[in-house]
Amino acid sequence: MNSIINQNLGGEQFNVNLAFTWKARFKTGEEISQFDNGKENKFKLIQDRFSELSYFYLISKDLSQCFCIDLNRGLIFFGNHQVVSEDFLKEKKENIRLIYFRRHQIKMTLNNTTKSHRIQYFLGLQWNNSKKNNHKSILQIDELGNWILGV
Amino acid sequence: MPATFVFSESNLVGEVITDDIANVNFGSVDEVEIVTATNPVIAGENSFSKYIRAKFTGDFTEISNMKFWKSSGALKTGEAIKAAANVVFATPSAVDTGDSDVPTDEGTALDIKSAEGADTIENGGSGVSGYSGYIRLQLQSTVEIPAGAVNQKEFTFQYDEV
Repeated sequence: MNSIINQNLGGEQFNVNLAFTWKARFKTGEEISQFDNGKENKFKLIQDRFSELSYFYLISKDLSQCFCIDLNRGLIFFGNHQVVSEDFLKEKKENIRLIYFRRHQIKMTLNNTTKSHRIQYFLGLQWNNSKKNNHKSILQIDELGNWILGV
Repeated sequence: MPATFVFSESNLVGEVITDDIANVNFGSVDEVEIVTATNPVIAGENSFSKYIRAKFTGDFTEISNMKFWKSSGALKTGEAIKAAANVVFATPSAVDTGDSDVPTDEGTALDIKSAEGADTIENGGSGVSGYSGYIRLQLQSTVEIPAGAVNQKEFTFQYDEV
């Protein structure tokens, strides 16, 4: 896991407006980054190939933080550390799916329509257990890299 | 790059659309970016209704889960702010819109659809304008409202993007 993350930290071109950008690795080994040679790839490229996805990374602009979703095993990593409990690891997971979106909050006063614009990143996975019940685990990450895990 | 977001306001007969508005001041005239000093709302009357929308451009994939609520700012005695979502545009007026009080937390926030009535705005989708549905706002007052400026309010527009 460590080598995978380190390998994926190099050569990125980050957009200054986003604190975190994504990178996807497919089962074939192919990788798609959100930003590639100055061009932005739409997330739709990933959505269209969800079933082929192996890993999905969210990497901070300064490269100091990396969150990883392992879609093969249904695990969540922050750097080299798993951020899930032992019970989570024991559970058999089927139909593992990525959850990722950015939540924007634009606060405005009556006399100023762009008072503040805050972005939070939601990253996680959902799966079905052996009884076919659906479960979710989602990281909520702010622009400073503070995060909490919701299960 | 995140989707580029601006507020848009519609005014006048036939709908004149102004994107990237600087403010949503309430007043006694159907204008974008009202100067309140010269167009104040008289105690006991309503402001002209405001029709605002979000407009998204840029390289996003999809916008969803749009919500709108008043997140802070106390109302004075005799003051109310009414709001409705996804309404049909009509020439703004000072007639009571008949809308409910603007929600004051995320849990009760107005759910905003796309201009086309969908739950999401899909970038590049057929017939997708990039606008949200209209949010109609109106300040209503009674004669009990104290003279002078009302308290500043803060509104939150929230959406999810991929």
